[in-house]
Amino acid sequence: MTTVITKTVTKICLPLVILFSISLLLAGHNNPGGGFIGGVMFAAVIALTYVVFGLDHIKSFFNPDWGNWFAFGLLLASLTAFAALAFGHNFFRSAVEFLHLPFFGEVELVSAGLFDIGVYFVVIGSLLFIFKNVGDDR
Amino acid sequence: MDSFTALTLAVFLPFVLAGILPVVEKVLKSRIGWYASAVALLSFVLVSQVASSVIHGENIQGSLSWLPSVGIDLSFYGDGLSVMFGLIVSGIGIIIMLYSNEYMSTREDLPRYYQQLLFFMGSMLGVVFSANTIQLFIFWELTSITSFMLIGYWRGRPLSVYGATKSLLLTASGGLFMLAGFLLLHAMTGTFDIPAILQSESTIEFIKGHELFIITLILVFIGAASKSAQGPFYIWLPNAMEAPTPVSAFLHSATMVKAGIYLVARIHPIFSGTEAWFLLVSGVGIITMIAAGFMAFRQTDIKGILAYSTISQLAYLMTMYGYTTYQHPGIGVAAATFHLLNHATFKACLFLVAGIVAHETATRDITKMGGLRKEMPITFVLAVIGALAMAGIPPLNGFLSKEMFYETSLEMGAELGAPFTLIIPALAVLGGVLTFAYSIKFIDGIFLGKRPSASLPEHIHDPGWIMILPTAFLAALIILFGLAPSIPVHNIIEPAAEAIILEPLDLHVQLWHGFTPSLMMTITTFLLGILIYTRYDSIAAWQNRFNAKHPMISINYFYDAAVDNAKTVTFGFSSRMQPGTIKTYITALLVLMLVLFIIPIILLASDIIPSSLNFDIPLYEGIVFFFMIVAALGAALLPRYIPAIISLSGLGYLVSLLFIYLQAPDLALTQVLVETLGTIIFLLAIVKIPQTFKEHITPALMTRDLLIASAVALTVFIMMINATQGIVPPFESLSHYFIEKSLPLAGGHNIVNVIIVDFRGYDTLGEISVLCLAALGVYNLIHSRGEEE
Repeated sequence: MTTVITKTVTKICLPLVILFSISLLLAGHNNPGGGFIGGVMFAAVIALTYVVFGLDHIKSFFNPDWGNWFAFGLLLASLTAFAALAFGHNFFRSAVEFLHLPFFGEVELVSAGLFDIGVYFVVIGSLLFIFKNVGDDR
Repeated sequence: MDSFTALTLAVFLPFVLAGILPVVEKVLKSRIGWYASAVALLSFVLVSQVASSVIHGENIQGSLSWLPSVGIDLSFYGDGLSVMFGLIVSGIGIIIMLYSNEYMSTREDLPRYYQQLLFFMGSMLGVVFSANTIQLFIFWELTSITSFMLIGYWRGRPLSVYGATKSLLLTASGGLFMLAGFLLLHAMTGTFDIPAILQSESTIEFIKGHELFIITLILVFIGAASKSAQGPFYIWLPNAMEAPTPVSAFLHSATMVKAGIYLVARIHPIFSGTEAWFLLVSGVGIITMIAAGFMAFRQTDIKGILAYSTISQLAYLMTMYGYTTYQHPGIGVAAATFHLLNHATFKACLFLVAGIVAHETATRDITKMGGLRKEMPITFVLAVIGALAMAGIPPLNGFLSKEMFYETSLEMGAELGAPFTLIIPALAVLGGVLTFAYSIKFIDGIFLGKRPSASLPEHIHDPGWIMILPTAFLAALIILFGLAPSIPVHNIIEPAAEAIILEPLDLHVQLWHGFTPSLMMTITTFLLGILIYTRYDSIAAWQNRFNAKHPMISINYFYDAAVDNAKTVTFGFSSRMQPGTIKTYITALLVLMLVLFIIPIILLASDIIPSSLNFDIPLYEGIVFFFMIVAALGAALLPRYIPAIISLSGLGYLVSLLFIYLQAPDLALTQVLVETLGTIIFLLAIVKIPQTFKEHITPALMTRDLLIASAVALTVFIMMINATQGIVPPFESLSHYFIEKSLPLAGGHNIVNVIIVDFRGYDTLGEISVLCLAALGVYNLIHSRGEEE
């Protein structure tokens, strides 16, 4: 697996795939994509890097606690669900707002989008948490 | 702040502030007990504000929307009764938390201890202020759970674990009976709201005439009796004494065990005045009062004596609440309510004394103690005040309420006529005599007599002021309530008793009220008590001999046998259900699925099995299908893991190819990514297990598996044909709704995503929680295996 070709390709792919995963996340409400797919894609490319360069090597300079990621995601998702209560609506009521910004044009703000970001972090965090623990145990 | 807000905050603040307690602990370290005391004080102040409104005759009621669809709101109700309990709970709470500052060693897990105490306090306040039955039930079970955790605070001790389990099993299951009773009440009245029932005379009349009346009463009373350790349910309370002593003082004498009494008082207007009420409540009360008082004799653990005494004293209260069927409720209810308050003060005081003694002498065995009055003079005085109040000696508060108990018992006997004119007062006196005897034993055994030098440490002394002051405060209340009874009676007892009987009440309680018959009964009690006390040890010895000879005449015997049998049965069941091989689980799941699906398939056979199939498969889809079949066969038949896994993931990629043909880019993308990650994780894990299938497959096993697999395949096939070709359309497809509403309701064009994050957001929240749990599960699986090695 660790040939020069895979290493080079992985290096090029890594930033592109991460950007793509973020764009999937943000585009999700109106186009194919969403927090789940974006998250899985992010996790997949990190997993690829782990496999290609070796978990130990990557860990020596990049070693986030993925457990925190899914904890944060779950917190964010629950908070958006509960936020509706604070505004006097039912649990999980979503809100849509359209903003007109210069340069970007019309931007849509959806509270469900925040929830989707929570999903994104949960997916990334839990998948890589599992991945790292399974892969680490030698 | 209006009173309703104060009430809501008093219940919820302990939960919130206990939630952040671990953070506060980082700053305060071992001084965290002061924070907990401050929280209790805050609750007390809030309850006091409510109390001041209630004393002025204004009941507090209000609700927050919770489950409007089933008619359940988060609603709170503050009247005289609940306010009295609220004051006791938060007031004793302050005392207990202060006392714990010295009692609990700094080596203990203090955050857990105080957090659970505060959770308990919040739950208990929730019980007494809840205005609807479902909410009351939830808080009720929360008190059972927090009690369970606090009894089992020292997790390493088998006796703690035994006591905790016992209390949870009995009180939590008793709560379920209560819930059943509440549901019947709802079936009769159509409401969960307690004040709504109490305030409507016609509803109460209707319930009393209803055929479900008796069964409802019994169910609710089982809940109350299990919580208050009455009747056969008493057995959990003595074992609960394994808790740290402040916990016993708080939960198992002053507050939680009184939740059952609270419930009986709360439902008093609904059920009282009937024969069943008297027989059940007073009957169980009288038997428990005598039996528990008698059993206290053979206890050698100082907390054990107090535990049986608590059971017996709570039974007084039950007895008096039951009397109201045959007499004007004014005296009995007032006496019970006054005794409840007095019991909370003197019993908590005695427990705190027991805690001090155990803390200083490092033993709780009364046979090893004696003569401590010289070394612990302050503790001795406090113990004497508490124990004499329990024994009913004037001028302490226990004397007053005991007199009222005798008075109401006399009247009760007169109402019932011969032969009860004598029997009921005689039973009341007998209860008092037993109480007197063990109260004296508590003082005599610990503080008087000769000091055994062998069993006690050399230097014993009074504890520091942190433990003395809270105990002394309770002792001061005992004397105050005794000398000036009008203070508690007018401010607390009258509003509470009025809330129980729903009538105005004017009480006059005086220390000296002439040579009444009840005073004669009190004097008889003292004389007989002293007489019995001279025979105390021989009675205890007789009880011990009896128990040794007849081990089966004991409720504990049956409890232990039942629990042991339940363990054997469940262990046998679960070891059969969970042998640890994945194949068994999958077989079980698939067979269950078959059973569930085959019945409707057979019933609807003519409708859902199509006579002819019209498959119009384009060539490229056909090619994909062909390779899918090849890959599936490969996954099933290849003898080694890695090729089989590769084959399986090949199948997955082919499925995603199919999704692209079917114009579902979201699904295709997801499928590819999940398949990739799944394969990688699979390959990583596979390194650690043997590389070939080792299981020996017999032809019979092979046939069985093939049969199951084919049946499943056929079932799924029939289901899919129905879903896609719409042969039976009993339900309209949901997709039209989502296609129409996605943009206007949720502002999104991507229907799949809108469903996930908006329409079905609740599902998704559940799913991501499961994902997190799965991640933690994998972590534990991998790391616990490492520990075993």
